[in-house]
Amino acid sequence: MLLALAGVMPVRAQDPGPAKVTASVRRLFGAGVRIDSLHADSALVLRLARNDSLLGFARVGNVRGKDQPITWLVAVDPSLRLRDVDILVYREPYGGEVAYEAWRRQFRGKGPDAPLAVGRDIQGISGATISVNAVTLAVRRTMADFAVWRAKGLLR
Amino acid sequence: MSLNRVAALSFLLLPLSLSSLAAQSDAATTLGGYGEVHYVNASGPGTPGQATLRRFVLYVAHSFSDRISMRSEVEIEDARVEAGSPAGEVAIEQLYLDYRLSPALTLRGGLLLPPVGIVNETHEPPTFNGVERPDFDHDVIPTTWREIGVGAAGAVPGLQGLNYRLYLVNGLVAAGFSGDEGIREGRQEGQDAVFANPSLTGRLEYVRPGVRVGGSFWYGGSAAQDPPLGDGTFDNAVGLVSADARLEGGGFALRGVFATVHIADADRINAAYGGQVASRITGGYVEGAYNLLRPLAPHSAQALSAFVRHERYDTQAEVPAGVTRDDALARRYTTIGLTYKPIWNIAVKGDYQLRRNRAHAGEDEVFRLGLGYQF
Repeated sequence: MLLALAGVMPVRAQDPGPAKVTASVRRLFGAGVRIDSLHADSALVLRLARNDSLLGFARVGNVRGKDQPITWLVAVDPSLRLRDVDILVYREPYGGEVAYEAWRRQFRGKGPDAPLAVGRDIQGISGATISVNAVTLAVRRTMADFAVWRAKGLLR
Repeated sequence: MSLNRVAALSFLLLPLSLSSLAAQSDAATTLGGYGEVHYVNASGPGTPGQATLRRFVLYVAHSFSDRISMRSEVEIEDARVEAGSPAGEVAIEQLYLDYRLSPALTLRGGLLLPPVGIVNETHEPPTFNGVERPDFDHDVIPTTWREIGVGAAGAVPGLQGLNYRLYLVNGLVAAGFSGDEGIREGRQEGQDAVFANPSLTGRLEYVRPGVRVGGSFWYGGSAAQDPPLGDGTFDNAVGLVSADARLEGGGFALRGVFATVHIADADRINAAYGGQVASRITGGYVEGAYNLLRPLAPHSAQALSAFVRHERYDTQAEVPAGVTRDDALARRYTTIGLTYKPIWNIAVKGDYQLRRNRAHAGEDEVFRLGLGYQF
């Protein structure tokens, strides 16, 4: 079935693809994680569980850097605390430092009320200002989306 | 997890990757740019304040495929260009094609920015304090320095945080060198550039949150096959080494650059063209800034940074026989000012500069206001 699909739809080399997304999720939640999808206001949300216990949710998306999309994954636990931000694909010649562990780890443990603002609770990277602001904005919007969806009872 | 589960999972995620990302992976053209308007008023008689639309730059990028892209900057300086007027310039500031093989290796060709110092590669107005770029980045590192060539860039594998760039470009032309602006007018900027002196330039930098430190170099001849100077590839070699650092955290931002330029056979250059070219140019600057809104309005996303910068450089740090050092070229510029950013890519600037030199000749002060943006 996969082969048939791949034959119909052009899969591009730099799409994160299922493998990159699952690798990222497994790194965060362990190898036995089960990934389901649900739709919240037409957005696709990944629901992460092991056996019958809910581990959290994740979103994958793009945000424009200087001229190319930066593909990110944001994962939260059931109480909407940030588990991690992952950069699945970075395409531009400058600013790739946003993919570094040392920068991404600042997001971990942030709650739904964290400001997520560069220069306040998120330290920037000199010479990578555009990418730093782009990814931080994407995370802030995603956290806001999660909060809305949870209030609507869509995240279960 | 069974194979079936993996297959089911892949099937589940495939539409996600395609539907959410396919659009952005297609060939796409992006428009960006930056611009700055300056008001400058120097002290002394007969120097009225002047306002100039200093730069208008359009950034155009195009992705031909996932791996191949083009980036360019078209610049109009000083608002207009008119025949017979020395002011104003239309120029391509950079134009290059990238072939991204992996994060560790991007092949690059075109009109490239030598990766020297801080401002040459990162020169959008909101990225630096002060209305004008530092004078050091005019007289020692001649920004915006761009030459035609090929090279490679990427992240050093296995050492997260270490990046490199290495380019082979056309050389400088010694006929343009001068005592007060060093190698600046020796740049060829992509117009009928003489390729008699292929030159190497590169940079290694280490990056982590709040820290970017780098070392850069340039090495190559500058004779351009002019008979009095010679036709060897490395004749009248120019060697430049530079170190720079940018640190930020807790509302503070510190940066500094140091560079030294050696010009071999400066005596022959002066004999050929009658100039006062030095055999060594050296100097640098340090700058400290603090975001005043950090304590005053800790919840604000805006920034109001107070800064002070001290530049010391001498474009005649060492001179060849036949040249008398001009102490007025040993410059000491101190600039204090404010940068207000309502959002990170808009800057409203004001500064006051004390322009001193070792000879205390023609010293003055300059007041400047500026408005800049990038997107």
